[in-house]
Amino acid sequence: MHIPDGYVDLPIAVAFAVLSVAVLAVAARRSDGAIDGERAPLVGVVAAGVFAAQMLEWPIPGGTSAHFVGGALAAVLLGPHLGALSVATVVTVQSLLFGDGGVVVIGTNVFNMAIVQVYVGYAVYRVVAPYNRTAGYFAAGWLGITAAAVTAAIQLGTSSAFAYETVVVLAIMGGGHLLLGLVEGAITAAVARSLADARPDLWPDGRGVSA
Amino acid sequence: MCGVTLRDWRATAALVLLAMVVAAPAFVWAAGQVGYAEPLENAAEATGATDDAESVHTGLLPDYGVPGLGSSAGTLVAALVGTALTLSVATGVGRLLADGTNGTD
Repeated sequence: MHIPDGYVDLPIAVAFAVLSVAVLAVAARRSDGAIDGERAPLVGVVAAGVFAAQMLEWPIPGGTSAHFVGGALAAVLLGPHLGALSVATVVTVQSLLFGDGGVVVIGTNVFNMAIVQVYVGYAVYRVVAPYNRTAGYFAAGWLGITAAAVTAAIQLGTSSAFAYETVVVLAIMGGGHLLLGLVEGAITAAVARSLADARPDLWPDGRGVSA
Repeated sequence: MCGVTLRDWRATAALVLLAMVVAAPAFVWAAGQVGYAEPLENAAEATGATDDAESVHTGLLPDYGVPGLGSSAGTLVAALVGTALTLSVATGVGRLLADGTNGTD
């Protein structure tokens, strides 16, 4: 889902860069003082885990591949604001160090993966979790990545490089990630559930339930 | 309860991260065997956008490899460097935003 340079029109890239900076600034302000010093490394561990997990490409016979993106997991583990900041760190490192995702569109990629996926995933989790916590993790991962893909599809589909074929791009990316998102949801649920059971003290409210 | 317990998880987390880093070359190789393509790439191909992709900045370790190093070794180094850098930067962000207590106050 990392968009390279040249795919998105410059005005769109600039607009989403500004939007991303604004949202992350609010996220930083909201999370200032939200964790104690002992838990501060957890932000780093979650971000590093997301980075490493994104390198684990799961081959799917038939010519495709999926990897865990991790925005929703970061959201439920850290809360949405710290989750957004941690995934934004991942996306920035990937772009600047590895050329994975363009530099001109870095704000666009941050918006899709670190903001849309994280906040939509977290919102879905908050809606579903009261009924069934594991289902909440799963739905957060599944719909979070699908929302991020749909957002990317709209940015691409309204750009000249994609011949403004918004519907085609939406169908391929939205449909593709709606299916691949099932894997994202399953991994999110498995990891979050096991961490909630094993180490509830590490969670924001100390009970294995994200605040 | 947090003082000792919270420090314990760091060793476990480091081991888990290391295991993921070591596994990365195998996963990247396996994905290559099936002809890796994401929906974004499929959409670019369907709309004729592929040729518009630009390489403005390739990064120090382009495509998660190390120039001059073999594919698997390069992926391993890239995974190690990327994971360590992400860990450092995000931990710094966490420390900047921490409330200044150590969790036992």
